[in-house]
Amino acid sequence: MRTILKAENLKKVYRVGRVDVHALRGVSLEVQEGEFLAIMGPSGCGKSTMLHLLGGLLTPTEGRIIIDDEDLTAASDAKRTDIRRRKIGFVFQRFNLFPTLTAEGNLRLAERIHDDGGDDPERRREVLRLLRLEDKMHHKPTELSGGEQQRVALARAVVTHPAIVLADEPTGNLDTENSAIVLNMFQELNYRFNQTIIMITHNPEAAAMCRRIVQMRDGLIVEPPGGVQM
Amino acid sequence: MDSLVTANIRQRPVRSLVSAAGVALGVALVMLFTGLARGMSDEMHRRSSNVLAEIIFTRPGSMELTSSMTNLSVKYVERLQAIEGVESAVPVIRYVSQGGKGFGFEQIEGVDWEPFSRMNNIALIEGRAPAANDEIVIDTTKAQNGNYKPGGVLQLFGGKPYRVVGIYAPESGARIKMSLAAMQDALESPGKCTYILVKCKQGYDQVAVAKNIDASPTTSGNKIQFTRDVFVNIEKSIPYLNVFLRVLVGLAAVVSALVVMLAMYTTITERTREIGILKAMGASRGYIISEIEKEAILISLLGLVAGFIAAFIAGILVQRLYGLSFEIAWSWALAAAAIGLLGGALGALYPAMRAANLDPVSALAYE
Ligand SMILES: Nc1ncnc2c1ncn2[C@@H]1O[C@H](COP(=O)(O)OP(=O)(O)O)[C@@H](O)[C@H]1O
Ligand SMILES: [Mg+2]
Repeated sequence: MRTILKAENLKKVYRVGRVDVHALRGVSLEVQEGEFLAIMGPSGCGKSTMLHLLGGLLTPTEGRIIIDDEDLTAASDAKRTDIRRRKIGFVFQRFNLFPTLTAEGNLRLAERIHDDGGDDPERRREVLRLLRLEDKMHHKPTELSGGEQQRVALARAVVTHPAIVLADEPTGNLDTENSAIVLNMFQELNYRFNQTIIMITHNPEAAAMCRRIVQMRDGLIVEPPGGVQM
Repeated sequence: MDSLVTANIRQRPVRSLVSAAGVALGVALVMLFTGLARGMSDEMHRRSSNVLAEIIFTRPGSMELTSSMTNLSVKYVERLQAIEGVESAVPVIRYVSQGGKGFGFEQIEGVDWEPFSRMNNIALIEGRAPAANDEIVIDTTKAQNGNYKPGGVLQLFGGKPYRVVGIYAPESGARIKMSLAAMQDALESPGKCTYILVKCKQGYDQVAVAKNIDASPTTSGNKIQFTRDVFVNIEKSIPYLNVFLRVLVGLAAVVSALVVMLAMYTTITERTREIGILKAMGASRGYIISEIEKEAILISLLGLVAGFIAAFIAGILVQRLYGLSFEIAWSWALAAAAIGLLGGALGALYPAMRAANLDPVSALAYE
């Protein structure tokens, strides 16, 4: 097993006017290649902040992040964007598909950004088969159900072979049935492609599918320092 | 073509069309004005090249093509004819009036038909020479554009009716001519003319003849110009035409830039979250700027094509309806194209940079 992500003593302070909000107070985390990890905790405890830091959308006030042997915290803004492009796939609660593009267009856009022009039809076919999206490719997001939209978003995140998928409450906008389908697909991706996934969730059933759960509270990981191993 | 770019253009068809129309307006204005200026000067050149007199004799002071002064006494005709090397001297009154339909300007000449037509080798192909004070002859182009025939009536000098009695060819100088006496009468300047055309005898050099005129005590002290010089510089003789055209091109560029800037600015505000998504997907600043620039350039390109088509149609209409010449000046067309595209690209630059500089997390949270 190989360590694919290492976060050391992450702190994040937001300045709101004259007030400092300590969103993260020193979080350390190690994730191995192929892990499916859940982050749980009450609202406002710093989960999203943590995920944004790991994906290079934010910079920590203190601490270090190494992703797939690259130091994210030492990198320039442009370099961080580049690492994100090559190594990270984001999935959000609100799907965040491009509404003007079809499912296919959304996937192609990801491929184009990832790797100027060179797409991998084999990978795309595999991903679409796994997520059972083959017949949805020519639909616009508004013509798809929430569950289908989230599957397209998931496909878009993994079609470019990211080292890590970062998902922020991916089932937060879905009903029970669709949540189960989407969670199943996360599990499939993890199992078939050995895809490393870090998923924030409020849903205990979702967390139960993960091999490891990390609990956060008030900007800290509380239970246990390494996370619960299932 | 990039699907996000074209999808965005199609997503907001009204915005895309309005901004393309803004670019088109600038481009069409440039094309139309330069086309008309070129057409006008080409036409004048063609007409003036049928003036066979080598020398134009006027009072001191510059002879503007647009002037309608009648300050030269026709007594000079006899004096000029007495000078060595002069074959004939023909007085001309030129009057420039606001065009009949309020656009452009129209020239009328008063000449004694017989000596003028002999000097310049023009002939009546229909009807007869003007005699009475309310009679005129016109050239074939004027007859065709206005659909005039002998017997038809034209209003000149702000509403006075004149009867067409003849049609001549080829075109030479003003398209409408009446007798010198009729013109003197209309302008209330008996015994006066605007200039005198001087034709040299065969075997005489025009420069030598000009020197003779200048040296003779009866004619010295006046302005002597060579026809070839006067008509070569027609574009220069319409005062500030080129300055005007340059200002117009500059304004067109500003209009294109502003319209595209506004369009792209509203677009990126509307698509803030999409820009956040692009950033989350790892799109670089350069990628985001180039996407927005591509969209702006595509819109400008649409505007450019529309502007060319609009200018072309407007040019033909102006030609048909007003009898003005319109000739596309390709060098200006190139300038208009460059300006439409450059204006669009530059206008989009600021919104594009703003988009590229957005903070990804707050962009993703944007409602
Ligand atoms: N951009 C921001 N500016 C100021 N405070 C913020 C900002 N983003 C998050 N916070 C604060 O940081 C804390 C952690 O937020 P967040 O990471 O979104 O928590 P969670 O995802 O666990 O609900 C909260 O108190 C929140 O109000
Ligand atoms: Mg959150």
